[in-house]
Amino acid sequence: MKKEVVAMLLAGGQGSRLYALTSNVAKPAVPFGGKYRIIDFPLSNCVNSGIDTVGVLTQYRPLELNSYLGNGQPWDLDRSDGGVHILPPYLGEGEKGSWYKGTANAIYQNIGFLDLYDPEYVVVLSGDHIYKMDYSEMVSFHKKSQAACTISVLEVTMEEAKRFGILNVEADDKVYEFEEKPPQPKSNLASMGIYVFTWSKLRKYLIDDEADPNSSNDFGKNIIPNMLNAGEKLMAYRFAGYWKDVGTIDSLWDANMDLLAGSSSGLDMYDESWPIYARTPIKPPHVTGPDAVISHSMVTGGSQVDGTVANSVLFNSVTVEKGADIQYSILMPGATVKEGAKVYYSIVAEGATVEANAVVGSAPDGADGWGIAVVASGVTVGPGATVAPKAMIREDVKGGEQA
Amino acid sequence: MNDLHGILFAYRSDANLGELTRPRNTCSLPFGGRYRLIDFMLSNCVNAGITDVGVVVHQSYQSLLDHLGSGKDWDLSRKHGGLRILPPFSYTEPGHGEYRGSMEALAGVYDYLEDIRQDYVLLAWGDTAINLPVNKVFEQHLASGADITMVCTPTLKGAPQFSEYVEVSEEGRITDLSVHPTSADKALESLEIYILSKRLLMDMVNYCSAHDVTNFSRGVLQPRMKSLKMMPYVHQGYVGRFQSVGDYFQRSQELLDPAVRADLFNPARPIRTKDQSNPSTYYGPESRSACSLVADGCQIEGEVENSILFRGVVVEKGAKVSNSVLMQGTVVKAGASLSYVIADKDVAVNEGRMLMGHATYPLAIAKGSVV
Repeated sequence: MKKEVVAMLLAGGQGSRLYALTSNVAKPAVPFGGKYRIIDFPLSNCVNSGIDTVGVLTQYRPLELNSYLGNGQPWDLDRSDGGVHILPPYLGEGEKGSWYKGTANAIYQNIGFLDLYDPEYVVVLSGDHIYKMDYSEMVSFHKKSQAACTISVLEVTMEEAKRFGILNVEADDKVYEFEEKPPQPKSNLASMGIYVFTWSKLRKYLIDDEADPNSSNDFGKNIIPNMLNAGEKLMAYRFAGYWKDVGTIDSLWDANMDLLAGSSSGLDMYDESWPIYARTPIKPPHVTGPDAVISHSMVTGGSQVDGTVANSVLFNSVTVEKGADIQYSILMPGATVKEGAKVYYSIVAEGATVEANAVVGSAPDGADGWGIAVVASGVTVGPGATVAPKAMIREDVKGGEQA
Repeated sequence: MNDLHGILFAYRSDANLGELTRPRNTCSLPFGGRYRLIDFMLSNCVNAGITDVGVVVHQSYQSLLDHLGSGKDWDLSRKHGGLRILPPFSYTEPGHGEYRGSMEALAGVYDYLEDIRQDYVLLAWGDTAINLPVNKVFEQHLASGADITMVCTPTLKGAPQFSEYVEVSEEGRITDLSVHPTSADKALESLEIYILSKRLLMDMVNYCSAHDVTNFSRGVLQPRMKSLKMMPYVHQGYVGRFQSVGDYFQRSQELLDPAVRADLFNPARPIRTKDQSNPSTYYGPESRSACSLVADGCQIEGEVENSILFRGVVVEKGAKVSNSVLMQGTVVKAGASLSYVIADKDVAVNEGRMLMGHATYPLAIAKGSVV
């Protein structure tokens, strides 16, 4: 039963900045890159890194995420010893029900689960990042440096550093200070929200933190500063490679465009040495019709393309009818764009329909209000209707109307 | 539907399929961009709620084993029953290449048959592309009181010398069966898919091994035509049979017809296959793809027309592929041109090569070849 490393994946985030895309699902279950959901990246990283025991902490609208994970078979995590475990908030005898109060509290509530496996090290991951990373190298670094905690960091520009949690380090990458979104950053090492802890240390800090009524029970705000103040050794682990937080509509769209750029962006899905696994529906190959024009785009099984598709990502079972024009857009599973409709710089969510000759979004025109338009799942944009750029369409738009 | 057991025969390698069946038997022939032929009957079984399926193999079944694995992609990895691969128990007569007939094959897996938990058995070949509502066949079998139900197609598909035809009386009973005639003289072609009771099957297997009868049609069905009530089930949907390279090419081209795809890939009865975790297919800035069926994981920078591309095919810039079937992992390098070609798995066509077959005589390139 004892495991050297157990991963804990924080998948409870509401993802409120993804607006209509997370009105029915937790953020980690949001579709990404034609075949995947966001959570496939950290989960596949675990398996590829040789971590076979993963706790997935869920709470916000977990139904779809839970059924997606199932027994973990697509990720090879259907193990008799270890495997994937879905961990909802834990209620002890005589306790009142409560949600996870913060990221640290989420792990605190599952101390019992971790004690089952009695690990040496715990890897704490977020469910909203797109990247490929070998956690085993980070764990080796952690062991070698004999740190209590190792935080993986990415070098960003000083301007970008103002938006991240920044680690200030000594020459040997030993952390002496952690600053959340500093207005005057002293370093450009941004935390990626990936931690390796020595479990015996973390366990103690979690219990102490829980006892503090003023704590917000958060890793970045409480646990890391507490460990630094107590003189624990914290190390920064430098990661060089593609990494993106896809917590906003813009960053989600950006990351999909990065995926199209493949090897030049660093997010190469055809690299077989580090596969990303996903639970995929049973679909036949996609079909291109006689008038299809497809360029710099991804197309997935079960889709039928008869129109024009450029710089776009099409998930499974998407229909693009003749005369329809899709540019710089993301069409999630089961989306339908009918004859003559135009979809520019938009995200059309699962099962949504854009009726004939409707126009969704527009190319960037330099206007302040411009942005990516989103049509929420299951919504119908009526024939000839117009959806403005940056609009967030949660309800049907009638034919000919503007929204 | 749990009262029906599936037995699929997966041991014949059709010599007329030439290069395509040299490394495998016909059941593991890749078809339709991401499937092996056995996926169709296996999925038909699963879609009808059958939980136990035995696959009878004899030789060159490595690629089939690799494809089927534990059966989990068909939901057939079960604690009890599920998928069982049935190799021959032992070779009594070394030298002969395959079972002489399906009765010999069944005798070879006698112990497995004895342990079948269900009262009824579906017998079928695993090398037909068909989306068959097996539950309807079974319902008809039970309702008609037939001893044997035979699935037939009214659209003749096979070459007569390799096919079987039935004659049906006015009451709808099969009165004659002709095996491998010189010409197709009957209205219904048998697909050699049968439902019968386990009791009757065991009785036949016992009789055949005691009398050295190996052939099911000639040795059992024909002699018992009068004593057993045999009824046809007429399947109106698509049927693809594969008896030659030309057949394979024709069947592949038929998939470009939306009506054929709608029938064969009916979403209510999905065809399952081994999952390979491919990413989506990428189309480059100068690519062109028209009238084609393209599986996931391909990278297309060149032109593709009227073709079937399996998973992980690469078509480089300036390459042209038309009226072709490119199996998994085929790489067509820059400027190469392919027309009426069937490229088996992992074929590489180097820069600027021109390969051209003909609609009636497609050029088949063996697995792993470098052109």
